[in-house]
Amino acid sequence: MTSFASLIEPDRIHGSLYTDAAIFSREMKVIFRDGWAFVGHESEIPEPGDYITRTIGSEPVLFLRNKDGEVRVFSNRCTHRGNRLCHEGRGKLRGGIMCTYHGWAFSFDGDLLAVPYEGGFTKAKENYSLRQPKMASHRGFVFATYNPDPEDFYDYLGYGKDLIDKSVSMSPVGKIRLDSGWVKHLFKANWKMLPENQTDGYHANHVHKSFLKVFSSQYDELKTNEEKRVGSVVDWGNGHASIEVSERYDGPLQWLGSNEERYPEYVKAMNEAYGENEARKLMTEGPPHAYIFPNLFLGEANIVIIEPVAPDLSVQHHSPMLLEGVPEGLNARIIRQSEGALGPSGLLLADDSVISEQQQIALQGKSGWLEISRGVDRERLEDGKRIGHVSDETTNRGFWQHYLAKMNRSSVETPVEPELV
Amino acid sequence: MMTANLLPADVYREIEEFVYREARLADESRYGEWEELVDDDMMYWVPRGEGDFDMEKHVSVIADNRNRLRRRIKQLQTGARYAQVPVSPMRRLVSNIEAKPIADDEFNVQCNFVLYELRIQSTNNIEIWPGRIEYKLRRSEGGLKMFLKKVMLVNGDMPLPSLAFLL
Ligand code: FES
Ligand SMILES: [Fe+2]
Repeated sequence: MTSFASLIEPDRIHGSLYTDAAIFSREMKVIFRDGWAFVGHESEIPEPGDYITRTIGSEPVLFLRNKDGEVRVFSNRCTHRGNRLCHEGRGKLRGGIMCTYHGWAFSFDGDLLAVPYEGGFTKAKENYSLRQPKMASHRGFVFATYNPDPEDFYDYLGYGKDLIDKSVSMSPVGKIRLDSGWVKHLFKANWKMLPENQTDGYHANHVHKSFLKVFSSQYDELKTNEEKRVGSVVDWGNGHASIEVSERYDGPLQWLGSNEERYPEYVKAMNEAYGENEARKLMTEGPPHAYIFPNLFLGEANIVIIEPVAPDLSVQHHSPMLLEGVPEGLNARIIRQSEGALGPSGLLLADDSVISEQQQIALQGKSGWLEISRGVDRERLEDGKRIGHVSDETTNRGFWQHYLAKMNRSSVETPVEPELV
Repeated sequence: MMTANLLPADVYREIEEFVYREARLADESRYGEWEELVDDDMMYWVPRGEGDFDMEKHVSVIADNRNRLRRRIKQLQTGARYAQVPVSPMRRLVSNIEAKPIADDEFNVQCNFVLYELRIQSTNNIEIWPGRIEYKLRRSEGGLKMFLKKVMLVNGDMPLPSLAFLL
């Protein structure tokens, strides 16, 4: 029996972690069902009856607003014979949730209200409510877990709370809105390559050379040599990791390729909300570039969801992080910035996904060990965070150590036990 | 009446010729020649799905104005746009061309297409890209140029693999 500890060392990891089907199904249980995972943002379902379908690992879920205006998460599966309840990515339900197979009807709180031809079904309806994971939210970011006795939500979130707060504080009223849609980018690669790449500061001036040649942008700093690079990478604990890019900027809105003169109303609203000094700092530093374990990425002006589909298949969803209380022109600019960077045609991400696919192909063989030791001797600890040179693999080591802590309770060959809940 | 808007056969022929030429240049990743077909006010738009939404309020797969399109092409021309190194061998079939005038020497053209792409940089699979195109064309001294190319992929709102080439 192989243990996870034998596949994950502090500065190297085994390639089978990306390819093995048993490991994948173990992750779906241990990380995605038993741990907290991001589901969606409250602003995506503003009105009662609004719903979105997503997955938590391999579990299809329904993210829904009930009649009292509260958000709910359910398994998107009828408790009769397992038909998928909502088929579309998003929509609006009226009255309740009706199964298309035999017509069982559920309330927006998941209760079974009625079954057609009652005479033949004599069991208690109370026992046939939709399965509902535990749910918790911070600043409108909703997370869920199927663990009946989960880790405390804020213990899980750790420094992720501050990172979310920082994203949201780009709005003068402290609110973001994800209502401009999601672009879905298919990676024929293992899901773990996505966060590893998102927080990898080493590849940028190589993979994105073509971008750097053609666009002058906030990324120009990447062209300098190792000693002159600014910024850092941070392992925040709990698997959360970031690239600190704010030091690249010396004025407000440079992170958006813009400046304060173009958006005087925004600057005014920010000054009024936070005071001039704090507002200037927020507008200059910009939103974080941070990964929240296991499936949320605060991608500067984007919110990104990592969806694992199969050991060698993942989807990266992104939606521009629109701000409440700002002129709409600023949000339109965020949308254009988002298209420029991310998605299948992103001037950056189109290249990243192909690299991940090449890694996946190469790892199919007898892959052996992958090296993540870069910077192990020059990182430092500060308030429980581990900080490294912007090009160092501190973030990757943080990810894998947390992954190991989660997974090592099980051995790889332990079958995923069926849950008779 | 159908006949009221019917273009003269030679104009239709000219438009058809444009569409086929544009398709062939895109297939062969001849970016410079393709760009010669583009007018200064070009919008190159790949919405999610049919794109029945306001571009200023909704995110698209691509929503390039002339400036961003110019740089997108330059980026491809660096030879280091890894998503297209080497470039995908591609062939597309274009059909169901409907054209109508929208102003003096300006035309709205719609057609269907199926594009076969060999993902030679990564999976080596053939990717199929089916959809509908809407062009806006304008006749200038150098012949027809496009100032809109809107590509509505049948699967444009589904997960899409790397799409760095010109659709
Ligand atoms: S499966 Fe839903 S009503 Fe039968
Ligand atoms: Fe990248």
